[in-house]
Amino acid sequence: MKGFVPLVLGIFGMLAFSWTGLTLVPSMQIGHIDPQMDEDGNDAYPAPRSGMAERGRRVYVSNGCVYCHSQQIRPDYLASDVDRKWGQRRSAPRDYLFDRPVLLGKMRMGPDLSNVGKRAPVEDENAPASNGPAAASPAPQGNIANANTQPAPPAGKPPAPAAAPSPPAASSPAAPANVAKSNSQSSQPATSTAPPAAVANAAPAAASPSASPAAAQPANPAVAAATSADTSQGDAGPPPYSAVWHHQHLYAPRSVTQDSNMPAFRFLYSKRRIEGEPAADALKISGDAAAPSGYEIVPTYDAQCLVAYLMSLDQSHPLKEVKSDTPVSPPAPAKAVK
Amino acid sequence: MDATEIPLKAPPTMTSDVRANDVEHVERALIDASTRVPVLMFYTSAIVWLLLGTLVAGLVSWKMHAPDWLANCSWLTWGRVRPAHTNIMVYGWGCMVGMGTAIWLMARLCRTTLRHPLLLVAGAALWNLGVLLGVGSVLAGESTGYQWLEFPPYAALVLFIAYTIIMSWAVLMFRFRRGDQIYITQWYLLGAFLWFPWMFAAAHVMLFITPVQGVMQSAVNWWFANNLMFLWFGAIGLGTAYYMIPKVIGRPVYSYHLAAIGFWTYALFASWTGMQRLVDAPFPAWMITASIAAAILSIIPVATVAVNHHMTMRGYFSLMRYSPTLRFTVFGAFSYTVFSLFGVFISLRSIARYLQFTQASVAYSHMGLYAFYTMIMFGSMYYIVPRIVGREWRSSSLIKTHFWMSAYGIGLMSMMLIAGAMFEGTALNDPTKEFVQSVYAIQPFIVGRSVSGILLTIAHFVFAYHFVLMLLGLGRTSTLPTFLNPVSAEGSEDGH
Repeated sequence: MKGFVPLVLGIFGMLAFSWTGLTLVPSMQIGHIDPQMDEDGNDAYPAPRSGMAERGRRVYVSNGCVYCHSQQIRPDYLASDVDRKWGQRRSAPRDYLFDRPVLLGKMRMGPDLSNVGKRAPVEDENAPASNGPAAASPAPQGNIANANTQPAPPAGKPPAPAAAPSPPAASSPAAPANVAKSNSQSSQPATSTAPPAAVANAAPAAASPSASPAAAQPANPAVAAATSADTSQGDAGPPPYSAVWHHQHLYAPRSVTQDSNMPAFRFLYSKRRIEGEPAADALKISGDAAAPSGYEIVPTYDAQCLVAYLMSLDQSHPLKEVKSDTPVSPPAPAKAVK
Repeated sequence: MDATEIPLKAPPTMTSDVRANDVEHVERALIDASTRVPVLMFYTSAIVWLLLGTLVAGLVSWKMHAPDWLANCSWLTWGRVRPAHTNIMVYGWGCMVGMGTAIWLMARLCRTTLRHPLLLVAGAALWNLGVLLGVGSVLAGESTGYQWLEFPPYAALVLFIAYTIIMSWAVLMFRFRRGDQIYITQWYLLGAFLWFPWMFAAAHVMLFITPVQGVMQSAVNWWFANNLMFLWFGAIGLGTAYYMIPKVIGRPVYSYHLAAIGFWTYALFASWTGMQRLVDAPFPAWMITASIAAAILSIIPVATVAVNHHMTMRGYFSLMRYSPTLRFTVFGAFSYTVFSLFGVFISLRSIARYLQFTQASVAYSHMGLYAFYTMIMFGSMYYIVPRIVGREWRSSSLIKTHFWMSAYGIGLMSMMLIAGAMFEGTALNDPTKEFVQSVYAIQPFIVGRSVSGILLTIAHFVFAYHFVLMLLGLGRTSTLPTFLNPVSAEGSEDGH
């Protein structure tokens, strides 16, 4: 081949072609989309995450969670992601509007996390569900820790419209909701014991009740599936995918899922001597991972942020451009448009 | 073919018998001498990174089946050592060895001595600093979260400045080149040198300076990663193979026209791949389809390159018994075909639904970066180092150990990961099976992968040891290069 100039022009032209085709043109197509809203300009989705969740994304990135966990649901006619209950619909570009960096992931050594926040139990509802009446006393404690470590409500769920003011009143409405939705539990005895216990060690009493009615409202079909999917969850552990569960899972993965090959993230937790009352958010872990007596294990701020981020992962909101498998909260518009 | 008929001649090195009127030999010797310091600097740094990356790879591989091992230290957590490993290999080993080889090839092919070699040394030092900074920050938890772009922008900036220094010198050699003809290798090298800064800068601008929205970041990320593989590593690797194979067997390339077709179709199609790594991800379907189509079409350059190399080699394959360079290079060139076909295979939608999120993509990366690129680079080092240090490789058995450990290691690793990925993918895509079944399915193969890694580790340490002997001037002084299997008794045994 002769001629330096044609060679250089050709070399530039080739990459310019691919650069334009694969980054610039798509950027024009999907690089400037806005959150979806209903006719009145309400119900915007997606919403930016809270500050804690955003910081949690940094923790997620810096510890390389993305190398094992994807955050994308493929269409149900192409892959089994939806059948696996990892989500109710495929992911769409709009789901990632505010994500930076976007963490689609390329590997599933661990489960997909697109909707892991959605899989969380509705705050108070599941505490009796997984513990039963006998283990009623640890349950409310767990709930308080729960509300503690997750001060920012996940993006998908709007905060409580009007929280009931008094603690007993707040925790009892959760019980009927329970009975209505999941039939595999006897929640009545649990509720009768729970309120006193909750009041007894209710340091942040205000946080716990205000969360409960709000969270009890959206129906949560994924919870049942997720709960049953997790086999090793037989005995008295925290409800799967709750904040307490995430902390325990991050600290000692194999105490939650026996054959998990996830590394433990103990450096996100601090072990310290108990002074006075045990901290409300201390991890309740038995077995090998348990803290020696007189010590407790508490999440660092980074760990709390990470869990806040995980709890904020939720793509269940229907999108106009995507067919939803099962209608979620406001079913009508999603169905109509398809 | 009878071994005695093989035209194995002493290569025209400085140590060979240079006659005063043999202008070509003197010229080559001068060129080699001018590249000595910078190329050795690049090679030495590359090998140090290779050893480091290999050790970190051991951590990554081992931790996958022993997750609690060294887990309580934040900078040794799996999610940090993994990007540390990939980035050390990509920027530390791959880029440095490629630039070293490319500089030497450029000087030889432009028939010009390297001017101001110390500037290249400074560039190499700066590049090392950038990689060190980047790896340090990844381990400290500063990763950006984009694959192959984990280095934070400040480290990337150092790399970019270093690259500008290095590349300007390599391209400037064109100004002083002699002869009209631009050889095939030069097309590829010039392409690589001009493509890299563009995609590196474009990716950083679009991800960090004026970030694109949402999923487009992933598109930019994979566009970059794939083009880095094909248009940077791939171009350097193919260019080197186009030099080494004809050179060692002493016979011109079979067809120039075929090579031209191969080069331009390669630039066209390979650059459009990337999105096929994201099959069924939340993107407009046309993007992914375009990349799958490009991946399929890139069979054309693969076939032309393969045919060209094969026809050049025809009748001379038995030389692989003797020449280490040829053996490594042909292995790499052959792996290029396998790697590309495997890439087509896993990008097909019907296959990707199973293999999309499995270890198959790790196998794919290793086939590209190791079985293809790294093996060709090893081959080029076996050719170049004796010419610039003026000594021959000391021991053919060390070379043989290196070759077989590398070849078996990477072969075993690819097979383990691909076979494991089949089971893993089948389990993953069967919603009646619990998720953990897919982990059980891959687990034995992950252990097998660690075993293959041991072979690679041995190979790299053997090679590094051999290289240090050469650096220290402990190579053989001989007029004959070191053959793997000595042709005649004199001069080619060990122990000089």
